[in-house]
Amino acid sequence: MSTLHEQIKHVIDTEPVAVFIKGTAEAPACGNSMRALQALWQAGAPITAVDVLPDPRIREELTALSDWPTIPQVFVKGELIGGADITEELFASGELKAKIDDALGAGHGQSVRTMPLEIPAIPA
Amino acid sequence: MAADVIRVLLDDAFRGDEISVEDRTGGGDHFQVTVVSASFNELTLIQQHRLVNAALAAPLADGTIHELRIRTKGTA
Repeated sequence: MSTLHEQIKHVIDTEPVAVFIKGTAEAPACGNSMRALQALWQAGAPITAVDVLPDPRIREELTALSDWPTIPQVFVKGELIGGADITEELFASGELKAKIDDALGAGHGQSVRTMPLEIPAIPA
Repeated sequence: MAADVIRVLLDDAFRGDEISVEDRTGGGDHFQVTVVSASFNELTLIQQHRLVNAALAAPLADGTIHELRIRTKGTA
């Protein structure tokens, strides 16, 4: 099994639009995660959500990679866009949709899924 | 109180700038901060938010801030 660090990096690097949230896309467990998801959905994004709640190490590894302290975190084509506030602001100004369409090409689809990570056992 | 700690840290990082700190829920750990600063001119939103996060790194790391909403504006 690959490490959490490798799995998180893989999601960021390979998923067109990745969002790390508390809860799942179907059942967000935090208002800010919900706000980011809604902005991405309204911008027509193909959303890959990753729940950080199953293990505290997910958030630790993510923050070490992104140097961003809070959840949610939105990435488009590997680039950190920001948290819920920035994602909402960029949606309101039309920049979020433009950024996603630019990065992914105009023909990209819209979808939502939650991708589970494989949680490594804690070393004894 | 946490709101005072946040204000002191922001005042220190953004001297003389327009800063507001709002305890959103009254519970002392969910905050809305707004900073209007000339230092944000020419910066992207994410760069602006990174400066605010950096100023508040300690209370973010130790859990004093459970939730942080940020609004930033340049002066240009």
